[in-house]
Formats: sequence, structure tokens, C-alpha cells
Amino acid sequence: MSQPQNHAQRSDLFLLDEERTTWHDETLWFVRQKRDRAVYATPEFQELRQLASDIKDHTLSRLAEYLEQFEDAALANGVRVHWAADAAEHNRIVLGIVRQAGASRVVKSKSMLTEECHLNPHLLAHGVEVIDSDLGERIIQLRDEAPSHVVLPAIHLKKEDVGETFWQHLGTEKGLTDPQQLTEAARQHLRAKFLAAEVAISGVNFAIAETGSVVVCTNEGNADLAIGLARVHIACMGMEKLLPRLSDLAVFTRLLTRSATGQPITTYTSHFTKPLPGRELHVVIVDNGRSQQLGRPDFRASLKCIRCGACMNTCPVYRRSGGHSYDFTIPGPIGAILSPNIDMRKHASLPFASTLCGSCTDVCPVKIDIHTQLYKWRQVLGAEGMLPASKKYSMKLLSRVLARPALFKAGGAAARLGLRFVPHALSHAPGYNPWAIARELPAPPKQSFRDWHAAQAATPAPTV
Amino acid sequence: MSTAREKMLAAVRASQPGALPLPTVPLFDGEASVEKFIALLESIGAQAIQLPHLSQLAATVARCYPNERRVASDLLPATVAVAATTPAATLATIDLAVLRGAFGVAENGSIWLPEAAMLHRALPTVAQHLAIVLDQHALVATMHQAYARLNGQPGGYGTFLAGPSKTADIEQSLVIGAHGARSLLVLLH
Ligand code: SF4
Repeated sequence: MSQPQNHAQRSDLFLLDEERTTWHDETLWFVRQKRDRAVYATPEFQELRQLASDIKDHTLSRLAEYLEQFEDAALANGVRVHWAADAAEHNRIVLGIVRQAGASRVVKSKSMLTEECHLNPHLLAHGVEVIDSDLGERIIQLRDEAPSHVVLPAIHLKKEDVGETFWQHLGTEKGLTDPQQLTEAARQHLRAKFLAAEVAISGVNFAIAETGSVVVCTNEGNADLAIGLARVHIACMGMEKLLPRLSDLAVFTRLLTRSATGQPITTYTSHFTKPLPGRELHVVIVDNGRSQQLGRPDFRASLKCIRCGACMNTCPVYRRSGGHSYDFTIPGPIGAILSPNIDMRKHASLPFASTLCGSCTDVCPVKIDIHTQLYKWRQVLGAEGMLPASKKYSMKLLSRVLARPALFKAGGAAARLGLRFVPHALSHAPGYNPWAIARELPAPPKQSFRDWHAAQAATPAPTV
Repeated sequence: MSTAREKMLAAVRASQPGALPLPTVPLFDGEASVEKFIALLESIGAQAIQLPHLSQLAATVARCYPNERRVASDLLPATVAVAATTPAATLATIDLAVLRGAFGVAENGSIWLPEAAMLHRALPTVAQHLAIVLDQHALVATMHQAYARLNGQPGGYGTFLAGPSKTADIEQSLVIGAHGARSLLVLLH
């Protein structure tokens, strides 16, 4: 089979394993239900969403000022601040800090930004051992795969897969599938890495302009353990992570994990403000397309994302196509509106990987109008001539027909007659009608709406 | 300064929209009872014990941890001395850390642990088990109240700790004891 080109083709690969697809679908829906229970138990949740949205809108509208304020505060705290306009510069800076520290062993906690920048291959190519310390990330690192979800990076795998991977790489017993025992094996394996690491890299969930702090949220404690032991901490952050005030964290910590997993808060919500004497804290602020997205009024709101994953868990398409089908660092509905900003042609199929049902918009804790943006990207892609061929030709035909009432009328009559006689094997013939792959056509009505309306108009209206 | 910095700030300035207002966040309040806090602690995999008096701390810890010999603490007689400069190899041998929490948050069972209470920044995560001593009057209802209490001063390092370390990365099965402490006992007095 040739390389799949678009989201639909990559989904086909995921859908080959029906049992796994069903499990994936149901498991993520279960996470969504846990989110609902946590949300309903928080009386002011909707108010918090509005506040979060407004705080983010405000911050983005004054982002340059807040970046400067953050830098000033961080420098005063003894933090070293670096600026990276793109992924390559980010990777160069991180490697430079690692080299300066004379280090060859690095542990890294979860960071979608370093995934986006492909930091690991860069460090490995320069002789630096980099170990992902989040359990899910470590599993996929050993398998040489990309994360398939922003919060649950290994959600595409079953415990049998993890058992196999650990048997191959960590020397566990073959056929081990107990999550408790597998986690214990990873704990032992990673403890040694934590103790040996000279540099700890982390992502940043929130950065506070007022205090110059970076905040990292984990459940496993891997970030705190690594940072607490290593001499050098490098925190890599996208420039949109800023919040003005420390107290704004109240709003965001209340929303983040309730939306993500239904927990009331992450196990560790850690505030890194000053390095200890003799130790280093570096913050790398990264643009990599963000300032460009900020300049697109229709799509700017996507920068408000706090990476909770709720839009993925609720998405009927994501749940049944898997994170890898998006072929972008951030999958799901939010990935589908972030990716065309990076490379419109490459990711042209993603805004179509949606039913536009709006469920993502309903659950988003920062009120991003995700499904509206998906719709708008479709318009942009259409105007740029990047519609998928199947859509381009059918849409062209449709618009020609809709523009000519007589043609529409004739076509309707033909269809009502024709569909009654067209055998199912033909209307659903593979290759002719991709729409019909998993769908049935409604029975054609005997009368068109136009005829029905004319008949109604001829009958006198009933008196009340 | 670096050219990337100037380039990025200029790009942001060119792109950012006209200033939008920063909302005032209400100081949402709620129930801050010991009962609610304990219920939350238990729901996130921690245990809680109410001490009749702080003088029972050492005896209670000894009873709850009969096999944990290597104990780091500034609240009771410790067997391993820990300071900010203690090497990782020593930290790695610690069975139990007993530390004081500053205050608890009833809505989520978290406890603010400032750097000064940790002895070493890695101690709360490197110790196999963790016990936190907390004044049961030092409870706030919500995160808003919690940050109001911090008053813009998070210290050099500090964490809201909510239960033992955990993961659900393998098939969404909850496992307690990922990389940090395998258990959390909160001793309220
Ligand atoms: S877009 Fe909203 S729902 Fe989706 S990950 Fe971001 S914050 Fe969460």
C-alpha cells in the first residue's frame, strides 16, 4: 500500500483493527464522562471558562508587553531567558545549554513543544542521551512512535503492546500485561535515569508575567523529581503560555485537570521561580509560527489552548480515527486548526476531519470556537485551491446545480425516480461514492418539496 | 540583546490585536471543612489521620510505617539528615519523608508545600513514601483563596501536592506510585 496521503486514508489504517478502535472510542468517551462529573460538581465552572477565555484574550492582546514583563521578572530571579524564533533555533539553544553544562545525560518530562520542535532527534544526533520520563512518553519513545494524544500519549496502545515493548527494552518477563507491574518496572528503570541526569528539560503549562515563574503540572512527579536532582533545568515554552498574575492560576488550575481527566487538580502543580545557588534555570521562549497565527484574526483564538485534550476525548472523529491519523504534533480538533497555520498544503485534509458537531467547542475550558475555525479553514483552503479532489469536483457540480433552479428541479425528479430503481450495489459501488462507504441513503420521497408546497398553497389555510 | 528576541517581539507587536480588558476574578469561596478536605484526600488516593495532639506525631508515624527505617524529617527524630546539598545517592535511599505542609485546599485535596518545608527540592518526590503534617485550621476552600494566601509570593519553588504520584498511561488503569512518592499520608492536628 502506498503512503497514506490524508486524514481519511490514515484513519483507514487505524480502523483495520475493529476491536481496538471500539476500545479507543469507548475509553476516551469514558474520560469525557469523568470530565462531565467533575465539571457538574464545580458550581462556577461556566463562569471560570469565561474568565479563562477573557484572561487569555487579554494576554494575547498585550503579549509583547507581558513577554517583556516576564523576562524582566525572571532575570531578576536569576533565571536565564532565551528567545527562539523557530524550532531549529530552539533546538540549537537547548543543545548549547546542555553542552555548556558539560552534560551528556538528559531527562525530559512531557512537553508538546519539544515534540513540535523535534528536539529529541536533534539531541541524539549530537551525542546527548535524552530520556522521556513521563511513563506514556517513555513507552512511545522506546517504540519510536509519536504521541497520539496531548494528555494520554500512549492511548493508542494496549497493555499487551506495552508488555512486549518492556520485554524487549527493559527485560521484563515476556507476556507481562499487568499495568501495576509494568509501571513498577518503568519506575525502577527510570529512577536510575533520574539519579544520573545532569540536565532536566520540562515543558511549561503556564508562565507568570508578574513573578517570572513557570508552572509545570504532572501526575507522576517526574518533572519535580528530575528538576530537583539535576543541576540544570531547561524549561521550554511556547510564547502563548503567559498569564498576567499569579492569582490567574486559580482559574486555570481549576479548569485544566477537570477538563482533561476529571481530576480536581494534577498531583503536582509546581511553581519554579528561582534556581538554587549553584544551579541553573533556563527558560526558552519559542515562537515557531505563533506570532503568525496571532496575526490571523479568525484563527488567533487557537493560541488560547491549554492542551487539556478535552476536545479530543469528545470528538467523534478523533475517537474513531486515533491521534496518528492527524500526522501532526497536536492531534484532534485543536490540531486541525493549528496545523494549517504551519503548513497549509500538508495538513489540508485536517479541517475536514470533523462533523462540525461543535462538541469540541462545548467542552473547551478556554472557549475556543474550534468548530467555527474548522469551518473557516475550509473556506481558506477552498480559496487557495487546496480542497481534496473528491470534495472539489462534487462541490463544483453542486454549486453549478444550485445556481440553476431548472437544473435542480430536473435533477431532483430524476433522482426520485432513479434511486428507486438503482440497485444498492451500484449506488454503493466501491470507488464511485466514498460518501456511501458507511452510510445508507434515505428512501427517496414520492413528491418533491416544491410540488408539496404548491399543493399546500392551492388548499385554503385552515381557520382557527 | 539577541536578535531573535527583537524579531519575535516585533512580530508579536505587529500581530497582536488592540488591547482587550483584563477581568477581575472573583474570590470564589466554598466549603473549607476538615470533612470535605479528608473526603477529597481519600478520593485522590491519599490517607488522612486526625491526631488528637501534635505530641503523638512520632508515635503515629512509627505505627504507620513499621518497616520504613530511613526517615528524613525536621519534625521528628530523623535517621537521615537532609539539607539542600545532600547528594542524590543519599536521597535515593530514603524510605519516608515527614514534612510540614503550609495549608490545604478543600476543593481538591491539595497541600501547598513551600521550598522551605522540603529540606531538599527533590525530597517530596524521591522519598518512597511521604507524610505531610498539616494544621487542620489551615484550610481554604478554593484555589482562589489559596493564591490569595500566597499573595503573589510563590517562593523560589513550591508545589500544590495532591495525593501520591500516579499514572494511568497504560490502558487508563490507575496505578499509584509512578515516579514520586508511592503513598501520601496526611496527619492533621
Ligand atoms: S482546544 Fe480547548 S479543549 Fe482542546 S486541548 Fe485546547 S484547551 Fe483543551
